[in-house]
Amino acid sequence: MNKNLSVCVVDDDAIYQFTIKKTIKSFNLTQRIMAFFDGEEALNFIIENQNKDEELPDVILLDINMPIMDGFQFMEEYIKIKPKLAKKITIHMVSSSVVPEDIERAKKISEISDYIIKPMTRGKIKSIMENLMN
Amino acid sequence: MKPQLNSEITAIIASNTDGIINRFNEGAETLLGYPASEIIGLKNINYFLLKNEVDRFNKDISSKYEEGNSKLNPFSLLTLNNGYDSREWTITRKDGSVFVAHSTLTPITDQNGLSIGFLRIIKDITEQKAIENNLLEKNLELNNAEKITMMGHWRWDTITNDVKWSRNLYNIFEVNSEEKLTYETYFSFVHPDDKDEVTIAVEKTIKEIKFHDLLHRIKLRSGSVKTIQLLGEVITDDNGNVIELIGTCQDVTQQRMAEIKFKGLLESAPDAMVIVNEHGRIQLINKQAEKLFGYTSEEIFDNDVELLIPKKYTKTHHAHRSSFFKAPKRREMGKGRELYGVNKKGEEIPVQISLSPLETDEGLLVSAAIRDITEQKKAESKILNAKENLEKLAYKLTDQNKQLADFAHITSHNLRAPVSNLNALLDFYKNAETLEERTLLFEKFEVVISHLTQTLDTLIEALKIKNESAENLEVLSFDDVLNKTKEILSGQIIETKASITADFNEYPNIKYHKVYLESIFLNLINNALKYKSANRTPEIIIKSSINNGIQTLTIKDNGLGINLTRHNNKVFGLYKVFHRHPEAKGVGLFMTKVQIESLGGKINVESDVNVGSTFTINFNQ
Repeated sequence: MNKNLSVCVVDDDAIYQFTIKKTIKSFNLTQRIMAFFDGEEALNFIIENQNKDEELPDVILLDINMPIMDGFQFMEEYIKIKPKLAKKITIHMVSSSVVPEDIERAKKISEISDYIIKPMTRGKIKSIMENLMN
Repeated sequence: MKPQLNSEITAIIASNTDGIINRFNEGAETLLGYPASEIIGLKNINYFLLKNEVDRFNKDISSKYEEGNSKLNPFSLLTLNNGYDSREWTITRKDGSVFVAHSTLTPITDQNGLSIGFLRIIKDITEQKAIENNLLEKNLELNNAEKITMMGHWRWDTITNDVKWSRNLYNIFEVNSEEKLTYETYFSFVHPDDKDEVTIAVEKTIKEIKFHDLLHRIKLRSGSVKTIQLLGEVITDDNGNVIELIGTCQDVTQQRMAEIKFKGLLESAPDAMVIVNEHGRIQLINKQAEKLFGYTSEEIFDNDVELLIPKKYTKTHHAHRSSFFKAPKRREMGKGRELYGVNKKGEEIPVQISLSPLETDEGLLVSAAIRDITEQKKAESKILNAKENLEKLAYKLTDQNKQLADFAHITSHNLRAPVSNLNALLDFYKNAETLEERTLLFEKFEVVISHLTQTLDTLIEALKIKNESAENLEVLSFDDVLNKTKEILSGQIIETKASITADFNEYPNIKYHKVYLESIFLNLINNALKYKSANRTPEIIIKSSINNGIQTLTIKDNGLGINLTRHNNKVFGLYKVFHRHPEAKGVGLFMTKVQIESLGGKINVESDVNVGSTFTINFNQ
C-alpha cells in the first residue's frame, strides 16, 4: 500500500476543512493533507512548488464558491500552468451547489475528474483514495 | 237637305185607331222624303221602319204590359195602359237611305178618354249619335289609357261629399262600379299606418287651396296592399271657397316595390350607406347612416358629401372623388390610411369606407358603405395596452424569476453546506472516544450553528424585503440620510481621515423607503471605507441626478476596487467576498441589491483594481 498520498483541500468553510481532514486521516493512507481557504492561496502554492514533485498534491478537492478566486477561476489558471507541473494532479470538484449550470460547466472542463455534491460521505472519500492508489 | 238642319226638324205622324195615317206633317215629309199625299190614308204605319226593330218593339211592349196574355197587339197594350214608347229607330227614307232617329209613340185620346189613334214623333239624331259615339270612343280610349298606366281619375264635390271615379279607378280600388262613393269610401281604403298622413295632407290642401300630392298605401277589401300616388287640383267658386277637388290616382305599387326593395337592401346593410351623385351631392342615406352622422335623410338630402368629412380632408377628397368618377370601380377608400368621418356635432369618428359605382336611370351614383370602427380602435388600443402590460409583467416576472433563482442558489449553497457540516460533525461525535475530542467537536457545532442562524436571519430579512410592498414610502432628503450615515460611521471616518463630498443639488429629495435608503448609504459608504487602499486616503464622491426621468445616485470611491472580469456576476451575491478583510462577510451588497430591486430599481458597479469603484443606483428603472 502506498502510504504517501498527498491531498489538497480548497474550501473557505473551516468546518468542512476540519471534517474532511479528519476523515481522510482516519484512512491512514496519506502522507500529507494541505488546506487552503480560496483558489488564489492554492494556486500560489502550486506555482511556488511546480517543480517539486514531493510538494505537489496527488489530488485536489476543489470547492466552487469561495472568496477572492472561486473554483472555476482556479481551473482557468490551473490549465495555464498545468504543462509546467512536475506531477499529474487529479482534481475533484466538490460543492454544495446543485445548480445545473455549475454541474454542466464542471463537466466541460476535462481536467476535472468528477463533480461531487456535498456532503462528502466517508465511502466516497475512501473510494477516491483507493482509485488514486491503483 | 242639310243634315245639320235635320236635327231641328220634327216629324209628326198621326194615325187613327185602325192604324190609318191621317196626319203627316211637313217635318215628316222632309225627314222621310215622302209627300204627305202619298202617305195619308195608308194603313201600314210601320212602313218606314225596319222589321227586326218592329219585332223587338212588339216584344218589349208585350213583356212590359202583358201579363201572360199575348193576344193583344202593342198598340192596344199602350192604349190600355195609357203608356208610351220612346226609343231609337232606324228610319228608311223613300230613297232607301236610312238615318237614326229618336221616336216617341203615344196613344191619343179624346176629351172623354177614348182612344182615337196614335201619334209618332220622329227626330233625326244621326248627328247626336255620331257625337255620342265619338264620346264613347274617347271614353274607351281614356279607359284603356288609364288601364295601361294603372291610373284613374276622380272628382270630389266637397260641398255634397259626392265622389266620382273613372272606371279604372274602380278597378284599382277593386270596387263595384255601382257603389255610391263619398270621401269616406276612399278614406276607408287608406292603409291604417298612412291615415294620419292622408288626413294632414287633405286638411292642408283645403286650407291652403293648393293640392298636396300624396303617396300612400291602400288596403283593399281582398286584403292586398297597393301604393297609390294622387295628383290633383283644387276648384273654388267665385268667392274662393273650395267646392271641388279633381285629380288622378295612379297605382305605383310596382315602382314602389322596386324602390322599397332597393331601400330595404339599403336599410338591411350592416353599414351606414351614403349614396352620392356625380356632383358629390348626397341622394340617399340609410338609417344606420342617420344614426352614425346624426342627420336625418331629409336634412342631408342634396348636401355636399364633404359635409361628412373633417375639414382638413375635404380638399383632397374633392380630387379623389373626381378621379373615382372618371374610373368608377369597386374599391376600398383610403387603403392603409386612417379615415375619419365627422358627425353633426362635429365629432370625428374613425371609419372604414368602401365605394361602389351604381348605374341608375338618374345617372351614375356612388354608394359608400361606411363602417364605424371606434370600437375596433378601442379594442385595438386595449390589445396594445394589454400587450404592453403583459410585456411589463413578463419583464417583472423574469426579474422575479431571476431573484427566485438567486434565492434558490443561495439556499442551495448557504444552507446545504452547514447542514452537511453538521452531519459530518455528528458522525465524528458519535464515534468520538475521548471527552477532549467531544468538547472540540462541540465547539465546531457551535460555529456551524451560529453561522447557520446568521444565514437564516439574513435570508429571512431578504424575504421580508422582497415582500415589502411600495408602502411606507416617504419623501427623504439625501442630505439628511448622508448626515445620519456619517454619524454612524464617524469612528471609521475619523480613523481613515476620509473625505466625503456630496452634491444633491440636481435631485435633492426622493420618495423612498427610509430604512432601505439609510441601509443603502450605510452599506456603500461603509464598504468604501472598509476596502480603502492602503496607499490612499479615502475619497468618496456622492451625487444624485435625474437623467431622462431616471432617478440616479452614484457613490464613487478610490479604494481597492474589484476585479470585475472575475467577479462581475457575484459582486452582489450572498457571502461573496473579494478581499481578505477580517470583516468581509458578503452580506452588505447582497442586502443592498435586494432592497433596491424590491422597489423596482437597479444597482450596477464599475470598478478598476487599485483605482476605485463607482456604484450607480437607478431608483426607478
